[in-house]
Amino acid sequence: MTPGADVALFGISVLSGIIGALAGVGGGILVIPALTTIFGVDIHLAIGASIVSIIATSSGAAVAYVRDRLTNLRVGMFLEVATTTGAVGGALAAAVVAPQLLYVLLAAVLGVSIVQQVARLGEELPPEVMPSRAAAALGLASSYPDHQLRREVPYAARRVGLGFVMMLMAGFLSGLLGIGSGVLKVLAMDGVMRLPMKVSTATSNFMIGVTAAASAGIYLGRGDVDARLAAPVALGVLAGALLGSRILVRLRNRQVRLIFVPIMVVVALQMLARGLGLHVAFLG
Amino acid sequence: MSRPVTTPSERPDAHLSADELRLIVSRVLLAGVVLSAVLILAGFVASLFVGWDGSLLGAAPGGDPTDVGALAEGLRNLRPQAIAQLGLLTLVLTPMARVAASLGLFAVERDRMYVLISLVVLAILIAGLLVIR
Repeated sequence: MTPGADVALFGISVLSGIIGALAGVGGGILVIPALTTIFGVDIHLAIGASIVSIIATSSGAAVAYVRDRLTNLRVGMFLEVATTTGAVGGALAAAVVAPQLLYVLLAAVLGVSIVQQVARLGEELPPEVMPSRAAAALGLASSYPDHQLRREVPYAARRVGLGFVMMLMAGFLSGLLGIGSGVLKVLAMDGVMRLPMKVSTATSNFMIGVTAAASAGIYLGRGDVDARLAAPVALGVLAGALLGSRILVRLRNRQVRLIFVPIMVVVALQMLARGLGLHVAFLG
Repeated sequence: MSRPVTTPSERPDAHLSADELRLIVSRVLLAGVVLSAVLILAGFVASLFVGWDGSLLGAAPGGDPTDVGALAEGLRNLRPQAIAQLGLLTLVLTPMARVAASLGLFAVERDRMYVLISLVVLAILIAGLLVIR
């Protein structure tokens, strides 16, 4: 890598960290295509750097989100049972399952969710509901301080079982396809369990680090993490995530959704392109 | 409808408030992030002077920037790639340290259900590392 390339990679990583921190995703959508198309890096090394970027986004932003009570620690920990189980299952299934069909399936799930997300574009907070029995038993209902609305916003959780199943799927796809699956996690919490958008992205952000860490050992052991590439990526993403986490508290929930929806569309297109075996620049 | 916030006065056996415990989890993450960033940056800056496979102690160039197995040799000779690798390893271990810290948090709050849930997550993480290989 030339010094110029290092600076460019650092810059892209900063951007990836900011977007990732705001939308609750790992930033693989930016880092992987940038490395393979601009820098001509081998896909395995690009995925290795992306795993590092997911963990950096998660840990960097969670410093602020946990402190500021945007992250719901109980929701995160409970659903991590599903994502880590799914991730290990997915990694084990990688040898026997053809990924092509899964990419198309994931694209279809995201496509359907886009309709739901667009319908909610103007919504600031989910309608207030009583927590379901499971949510009450698990202590998932909580509240967060909203600096824009200038009040403490209480929220409940619904359809915990369905959310759990969706997290199993998200984890399975992470382990099998080497993706962070932050988009699916946000959809499970916002779309299914009806947590406020900022709580959903902050908690997804909190969780993707653990899901990625569950499979990071394999990538390190395989030699897929190249320090020369991963160093500028990690530093840039950390800086971006710290910056992004300062921004999120100042945004309204509906602004966060406006950032999330385009990212979701790009991920859906990337997955469709991979599933159909198309090689489109920037879709990876 | 929201879960009542547990305060020390309600739970005389708990020594720390929920807010203080959150701050501890946040600090664990911060410590992991700062430590890894310092190591990665140190490796990067050192690489500008002696190259990634060089050595700050003047040893012959060697090693492989993707080989974590050779980490000990690289660190003994202060190779930039090994210093950065140690930072990357610290970064990868940070989420696990966070799960462990949360486990401690729930234990101090005497939340048995979540101590159990955290233990399950930790067990799956460790099992994953062993089984997948």
